Amino acid sequence: MGLRSSLAITAGRLTRWGLSKVLRRNASQLPGRVALALDPTLMGRLAERATWGSVVVCGTNGKTTTNNLIADALEAGGRSVLCNRVGANMAPGVVSALLTARSADVAVIEADELSTVRILPSLRPRYLVLLNLFRDQLDRAGEIDHVQDVIVRALSLSPQTALVINGDDPLCAAVARRAAEAGTRVLAFGIDEDLHLSADRVPEARFCPACGAELEYAFRSYAQLGSYRCPRCDFRRPALDVAARAVTVGREGVAFDLVMPSRPTRRLHAGFGGTYMVYNLLAVCAAVTLVGGGVDDVQRALERYRPQNGRLQHFDVGGREVILNLAKNPTGLNQNLSLLAADDREKAVFVVVNDNPNDGTDVSWVWDVDFERLLDQRVSRVHVGGTRANDVQVRLKYAGIKAEVARGVTEVVGRLGDLPVSVPLYVLTNYSALAGAKAELTRLGGDR
Amino acid sequence: MSAGITAGARRGLRIAHLFPELLNLYGDSGNMLVLKRRLAWRGLGCEVVEVSLGESLGFSDVDIVFMGGGTDREQRIVCERLLSWRDEIASYVADGGVLVAVCGGYQLLGHYYQLGGEKVRGLGLVDLYTDRAEPRLIGNVAVRSRVSPQPIVGYENHGGRTHLGPGVEPLGTVAYGFGNDGSSGQEGCLSNNVLGTYVHGPLLPKNPGVADYLLSRALERKYGQGSLEPLDDGEELAANKVMYDRMMAGAVPVR
Repeated sequence: MGLRSSLAITAGRLTRWGLSKVLRRNASQLPGRVALALDPTLMGRLAERATWGSVVVCGTNGKTTTNNLIADALEAGGRSVLCNRVGANMAPGVVSALLTARSADVAVIEADELSTVRILPSLRPRYLVLLNLFRDQLDRAGEIDHVQDVIVRALSLSPQTALVINGDDPLCAAVARRAAEAGTRVLAFGIDEDLHLSADRVPEARFCPACGAELEYAFRSYAQLGSYRCPRCDFRRPALDVAARAVTVGREGVAFDLVMPSRPTRRLHAGFGGTYMVYNLLAVCAAVTLVGGGVDDVQRALERYRPQNGRLQHFDVGGREVILNLAKNPTGLNQNLSLLAADDREKAVFVVVNDNPNDGTDVSWVWDVDFERLLDQRVSRVHVGGTRANDVQVRLKYAGIKAEVARGVTEVVGRLGDLPVSVPLYVLTNYSALAGAKAELTRLGGDR
Repeated sequence: MSAGITAGARRGLRIAHLFPELLNLYGDSGNMLVLKRRLAWRGLGCEVVEVSLGESLGFSDVDIVFMGGGTDREQRIVCERLLSWRDEIASYVADGGVLVAVCGGYQLLGHYYQLGGEKVRGLGLVDLYTDRAEPRLIGNVAVRSRVSPQPIVGYENHGGRTHLGPGVEPLGTVAYGFGNDGSSGQEGCLSNNVLGTYVHGPLLPKNPGVADYLLSRALERKYGQGSLEPLDDGEELAANKVMYDRMMAGAVPVR
């Protein structure tokens, strides 16, 4: 290793030490930024710290949860892991994570979709897991077509990387099709049965990416995910290497039979999440078994999993259950509304939408969310917050729902004083509002 | 047109939403919802007809036609289809039919627009054309317009630069943001009962004045009387004012 790299590593480690030990601050970004400034090629050198190699996780929704669960399961199986757990998913965050130990068995890395083109050629992971592609941050990421192009290019620059896709997502399958033409090996996971759920309105990917004919579905799980085929050409859901059957989804969480060729079928259960979580868990099982871990390790990790990052995190505020979750695009919010529907209690909701640059400054997507679904549920009070509180309030008005603007979680909790504490509060926030809401809830009460 | 309306029948409008499966980039279904609710709150009927690519549309019983924005690829597919309807759309517009076109749909109204290096022929309904330049014009936008008592607020995201012919009235003047081309100070177009604009967000929820303008023009054409009962727009106008004030204070995020 050259002097330059050594210097960069030392500077990065010093930064991390200063931030975490002296200032007690988050060290998920800056150490990597400092180190990369000194040696822009550092990620490639640090990749060697993972003796087995690395797995990269990307996709619009579910990255952080999936990535952390893969790391948890591998650790449960006795492996040492380097992981960017808090979701710092661009190059500096990846380098920061790789700087945390001199060596490890595996690196498990979350990557922002557009950053894959920077991360893959340096890290040269053994696998790239692509969870899903949904409409998100049009002002920043541009159209999904562009995101697909970037991932295909990233894979072409890292030919040893195999691609693990959500086969139920035609947008992921379209990426896989193009990558496979260039020689990438592809594996697919998916739900292999009809869950008989009502269809979302999110109108993505109705047409065949190969020939433009309207795709036909045997069934859909949500959004554009399901068992599809093109009536005109050979584009169709790929054969599933990792599949879920006998799926149950409810307030108590999710359970399913994990079906993999040449392995005994095994039932998995998690005490959290909705249909989307089934896909995340399939991705986890695929990645963990590819690294050489066992499905038992996944189950053990699920039993211990206590999210601390605002993803389905539970709090107790004066006896009231408060559930905090990230919802940053229409599909994410629709899946959250499905979680609410699975909870048959009377409940209150607080929807927070900010328009900061890391959220996307265009919030027209709130009109693609099926807020009308709240009408059928026992939702006794709706509040809206964030810099775009008024936009959400108008959206809800046209859904037939009266909502009040509130400045933050503390104010909402105060206004719920007349509701029995048995009524839970769901706090759904987009990206930049999440940390603030979590901090408020930590101050108000504590983990449940 | 009004021959089919018998005395006592409930008044209402028929809205054609063109190709929602393709032109739906920016919450455009919200525009339909707003038109529908604002009619219902006044006791007026509304039927929204979603016209998909394979279907045909008779323009004779349509009161408002809406076209949203799509990706470049989708816009090209749509354009081919629309050109085959050109004569029907042109006579609908000549007859005073209300046509609203946002983003990509707006560009299709003109003589041509540029896609990559290629000039794509448009409907030629309004004397305008669109070429392209870097950078994309992205961000919040506010427009002062005679059709709305409040400034029109929303969001724009376009690589196209739209140039109006000499006699074409813009929808309004840019108070914040870029507008048609980032330099003329003009935004959108108003021509007969055609309204074209880059403002999405979507366009109508925070701009109830624009929504009512469109409804009123369509009712007037259909029934000869377009006055509308006022509604309580407290929440809509609050949302409008919040964004306008943020823009004027330079307090919106800039990319």
